[in-house]
Amino acid sequence: MRIGYLPAVCVLFCMLHVKAQETDSIRTLRLKEVDINDSYRQFVRRQSALEVDVIGSVFLRDHFTGNLVQALEHMPGIHSMDIGSGFSKPMIRGMGFNRISVTENGIKQEGQQWGADHGLETDAFNVERVIVRKGPASLLYGSDAMGGAIEIAHLPPPPENRIFGEAALLGKSVNSSIGESVMIGFKKDAWYAKIRYSGQDFGDYRIPADTVVYLTQLLPVYGRRLKNTAGFERDAALHAAYRKGAYLSQYSVSNVYQKTGFFAGAHGIPDASRLEDDGNPRDAGLPYSTVNHLKASARQQYTAGNLSVVLDAGYQNNHREEWSTFHTHYGTQPAPEHDPDKELVFSLQTYSLSAKLQWTPSPVWEHTAGWDMQYQQNRIAGYSFLLPEYWRFTGGLFWLTAWHPRSNLSVSGGVRYDEGRTDISAYTDGYLEAYLSKRGYTDETIAAFRWRSYPVNSRFGNWSGSLGIIWNPADEHWLKANLGRSFRLPGANELASNGVHHGTFRHEQGDPSLSSERGWQLDVSYACEHGGWSVSVSPFASWFGNYIYLKPSGKWSVLPHAGQIYRYTGVKALFAGGEIAGGIDFLRWFGYHASAEYVYTRNLDEQVALSFSPPASMRHALSWKGKHAQVETEWQCIAAQLRIAKNEDPTAGANLFHVRATACIPLGKIHADVSLSLNNLLNKKYYNHLSFYRKVEIPEPGRNFQILIKIPFKQNIK
Amino acid sequence: MKTLIFSLYICLMATVTVLVSSCKKDGDTTKPVITLIEPAEDDVLKIGGTVHFEMELEDDVALQSYKVNIHHNFDGHGHEKSDEETETVPFEYDNDKWDTDIAGKKNASIHHHEISIPENATPGDYHFMVYCTDAAGNEANVVVNVELSHEDNHDHDHDHEGEDDHDE
Repeated sequence: MRIGYLPAVCVLFCMLHVKAQETDSIRTLRLKEVDINDSYRQFVRRQSALEVDVIGSVFLRDHFTGNLVQALEHMPGIHSMDIGSGFSKPMIRGMGFNRISVTENGIKQEGQQWGADHGLETDAFNVERVIVRKGPASLLYGSDAMGGAIEIAHLPPPPENRIFGEAALLGKSVNSSIGESVMIGFKKDAWYAKIRYSGQDFGDYRIPADTVVYLTQLLPVYGRRLKNTAGFERDAALHAAYRKGAYLSQYSVSNVYQKTGFFAGAHGIPDASRLEDDGNPRDAGLPYSTVNHLKASARQQYTAGNLSVVLDAGYQNNHREEWSTFHTHYGTQPAPEHDPDKELVFSLQTYSLSAKLQWTPSPVWEHTAGWDMQYQQNRIAGYSFLLPEYWRFTGGLFWLTAWHPRSNLSVSGGVRYDEGRTDISAYTDGYLEAYLSKRGYTDETIAAFRWRSYPVNSRFGNWSGSLGIIWNPADEHWLKANLGRSFRLPGANELASNGVHHGTFRHEQGDPSLSSERGWQLDVSYACEHGGWSVSVSPFASWFGNYIYLKPSGKWSVLPHAGQIYRYTGVKALFAGGEIAGGIDFLRWFGYHASAEYVYTRNLDEQVALSFSPPASMRHALSWKGKHAQVETEWQCIAAQLRIAKNEDPTAGANLFHVRATACIPLGKIHADVSLSLNNLLNKKYYNHLSFYRKVEIPEPGRNFQILIKIPFKQNIK
Repeated sequence: MKTLIFSLYICLMATVTVLVSSCKKDGDTTKPVITLIEPAEDDVLKIGGTVHFEMELEDDVALQSYKVNIHHNFDGHGHEKSDEETETVPFEYDNDKWDTDIAGKKNASIHHHEISIPENATPGDYHFMVYCTDAAGNEANVVVNVELSHEDNHDHDHDHEGEDDHDE
């Protein structure tokens, strides 16, 4: 691990010679120059040359569904890849999975992001503010953030000493879901702490269809509820901070546990007998998955004069299990003695450390240097095999600078170098070997296939960089442009996986010789806000010299239940598109907001689209805002997605209507925020091109009535 | 200054347009079509006999290959165990050896009796699956439920001239 030495020396140097304060202090300084009416959102958007958006607590509450990604989806450029009704993973401008990163409490969330049936393991109730960066953010966040980054942040502590808390209750009709969350905290002089518990329980979700078609078989959906898609979630989190003068330290510990059933008709070959109503729409029987995500992080900040230093340390344990009644295609494989139905287990531990030094030598210059490292270890268990065991070490060094020659102009840029090492353990399957030998395959074929995973030990190094300009000719409008180079280290699944996944039915094969993914992206954005109206346009184009995707090989797999082999392959690819948004307030109480987005993707070797390309879409919202209440109606228009990758199905478009209302009801000294929403008002049957269940032709949830009651309270103390 | 903004935007849009329009003709994403005639859904296949296999394959560009797989579905993909007393073995069949027959063609009629079911095959419910790929790697598949049985109640007439089969 000698790659860690130099950065470590740098950090030591920083720690010995530097006294500093919190990262945001420099921003705070400049805030004085900014119009006092500027909101935090405006401020952040004008500070980053890259397209960035801040989603505040009011927006999150108004669009709350118990699932963070589904709330973020209301922002143009962001999509939600759903796994049933409960869990989702985010996508930014057509990039999902490992190509975007999500950070919480300063550390990058690490789970099994590569997996199609993995959702984001965060507590939606515990999110107060989200900062979304669209475009290449690997300069700031490292390897995986090549498509963008989602930063989950806490609101700053209140200035007064106080005790505060919140109780929230959520009910949803589409999956008979009940959610609850309780938070309590205090701020006393230098101390600040809060603790939260949240839970959600949901039943099988309703779809507006009586049958689904899967693998050419028509399967019944009894009672219009998708059997065994029920589940639950239990989360707890503690956040504490201590601030004294120029020193700040923050500590966070959180645990998220999710269990969700898989629709049995889509797990394995379809079989109508397994879809019969069991009379209990709230149980998640086999097959199902469970995930437990434990995350602990600590931050130390110190500021002295024009220098500030930040140290972050984090530990995460993501433990995912998939359970399915024991089945094998290899006659010699016995059921395990313990937990015979435990199909797959992935246990991923991640240790991360990072240091950042900010230096503002003069009002026109600002420099940031940083170092970070991450060590991951993945262990596996279960009677089936998909992903091998591995460890991975990555480290990066970066330097960013911003120059403000005039008050209305700033130029920023930076470079970063990352290096990573992956060591993947070999895995040979004796049962598979016996099976192939019994089936009469040649020794050559058996030798090639008995390795479920080849041993891989590779090293990747790559640089990323960006150069951007922000020009603010007047208070009302600004123009930004950014050119960035980003990269991503291939994941263990892309290097060494070799097996058939139940959900996808594909024999997916890694390639140990893959090199890292890299690309260039050009972003431009213009925004104008004047009086009651606003408009913003943000086009982008990116080109990838090496983009890894699953290429159909045309060769039949020898594994049972598999068609052809899909091999991870690097190609040249193009992404282009953008978002347009605008709004106007009129007649004192009314507002109209519209947004549209489009992403064009192309695999330049095969001349087809890339898989999971989000369809063009548009949202129009008309709102009425009173003093204590608000009503909003929304028309969501999703275009058909006919530009597809090989072996993907085109998805028809849909017009959806939603209604939302929020009211603040006084209850003596406190008040309750009540939000009612009616989604998919017309109970339209439609498909989400990005949904995990899309390929099994399962439509999206039908009409949903939702109620959210939030009762915040605060009491100032001495 | 406004002109600058405007010209920058025009430049970007022009770049995007050029990039998009300079792309070559779209690749093939249309899957081949499998019309499985025999065996049909809920057909009974005789243990110890051969399977009457008949299908039509079609692709808009060029077919590549097909594969047949038969596997049991005794209890919805449950435990796989040999029946010790009767010494039968769950039948499993996988064959992709007919590659060259269809490669490059747009249409193909497949009709043969190459699949034989051994006497020791365990009777019961099975899945009969056909996969087909085209030259571009688009893949289609079809699955039908069949039963393996010693009883010969195969209720389909068999006509080797390839004319329609009639249900009785």
